Amino acid sequence: MRFSLAIAAVLLSMALLPNCMRVTDGIEVDIAYQPAAMSAAIRTDLGYRVRLERAMIAVGRVELIRCDNFVLNLWKLVAAASAKAHEFSSPSSLGVPLVIDLMESAGVPLFAGTLRPPPGRYCGIRVVGMPADQDAEGLTDENLEMMQNSVLIAGRVENEMGEEPSALLSEIWEILPCEMRFDRPLVFDGPVVESVSIQIDHRKWFDGIDFALLDPSAVQQRITENVRSSLQAVLPSEGDGL
Amino acid sequence: MGDPTLTIVGFEQPQSQRVRTSGTVRLRNDRIGQAQVDELRLSEQRMELAGAYSPTDRWTLSLMMPLVHRLVSAVNLAEADIWAPGDLEFRARAVVWRDRKFAPRHLMSLIGGLEFPTSSIERDADGVPLPLEFQAGTGSWDPIAGASYTMFSDPWSVYASSIGIFPTQGTADTKVGISFRQTVLAQFQPWHFLAFQLGAEFRIDQPGYIAGVRDPNTGGHITYGTFGLVGLPHDKVLLHFTTAVPMIQRLDGSHLEGLAITAGLVYEI
Repeated sequence: MRFSLAIAAVLLSMALLPNCMRVTDGIEVDIAYQPAAMSAAIRTDLGYRVRLERAMIAVGRVELIRCDNFVLNLWKLVAAASAKAHEFSSPSSLGVPLVIDLMESAGVPLFAGTLRPPPGRYCGIRVVGMPADQDAEGLTDENLEMMQNSVLIAGRVENEMGEEPSALLSEIWEILPCEMRFDRPLVFDGPVVESVSIQIDHRKWFDGIDFALLDPSAVQQRITENVRSSLQAVLPSEGDGL
Repeated sequence: MGDPTLTIVGFEQPQSQRVRTSGTVRLRNDRIGQAQVDELRLSEQRMELAGAYSPTDRWTLSLMMPLVHRLVSAVNLAEADIWAPGDLEFRARAVVWRDRKFAPRHLMSLIGGLEFPTSSIERDADGVPLPLEFQAGTGSWDPIAGASYTMFSDPWSVYASSIGIFPTQGTADTKVGISFRQTVLAQFQPWHFLAFQLGAEFRIDQPGYIAGVRDPNTGGHITYGTFGLVGLPHDKVLLHFTTAVPMIQRLDGSHLEGLAITAGLVYEI
């Protein structure tokens, strides 16, 4: 019986053992948005002066693109057109919706999250602009229109002479998949911490637009194309942070 | 002893004042998630110490405590190496019918028990709980109920059991689903010191929840085919080894269970 009591004591004392956990970090890629610094007015390449009052973009998903998966990437680009407002996250995809107010956060990096992709070669990144859902970060009572829009721009446009200022309102509701290639592939074959900065240069959003000649729908179409091409993925130079 | 059948703890017929202890090692592998996307791999070694006492020839009381080592690997090569106690388990087995008192050939038993929340819910580096399948235990008070039937017909024996585990709300806001486990085992013992086992284990689980959100990779059913050996190297020592191979997997979500190996030692006091 004494032996039995000893066994029971051993069993019960095992229950009191403290947990012991050792965590080894793997491959991590920090993603941040970097809106360009804001000036009072934007001078376009055609000489117009745009004075912005509101400029916002809503991002729904960010994901890394493998170098060797071009066909699949094309399919994803098509599939993105039916994307939902709140995307699911995975180790190589961030599905956290975010509303970026470019008037307030100009020049300030905004941390989007950390991707934890599997080993491999990654040649680019895909950012999908889409209307925000109700729990999107950055959504406030003042910008609830972003639940219907991917991009919202409001301001005034003046011609080269500073005459005939006209109102500018552009509401882009469609989903905007933007693919950006890195200037060098990211090669992951072991645990490492990397970072990618997605630069948003809204100073280019109005280039090539002749506001005097184009009708509002053509202006909107051109702005949509400019928004997509204004995003750029930038990697830290290879010597940085090492 | 009377009955020469080699039985591991839990399968034996109760004999008054019989005390047995055991040490068991269980190895298993588990995969959750989509390969190359969000897959998590688990390699688990579970060491169980147990004691069983029969105060009469109808009752057996047992206590089992696991110590669990897990290596959880993510697709991005991150790893979590965890040592933690599992859930302490108490079981009582009562023989409710036998065909005769001396050397019975047929035994019907009822089983009741309780798992204590001695394990804790493990989280990853971001504080997100690991999937329920990767936890060392449920972290909840879990009643156990079931029945078993054993037939002894030297050199053959058959064991069948049906057990239900009914988890309650866990200490870390987890709710593991109800689990039913059926075991059928045939044993052939050509020599007094060695027996061969062949059997099947079937398990069906309800989905589990963490903080009210369904863990998508829980629930479903799985059937294992098992092959085992039981040896008696000494009058008081019994060794056993079992391999369980998943035969039919219908687990919910992206969830794949691998080969499971069990090896243990039973000491008769």
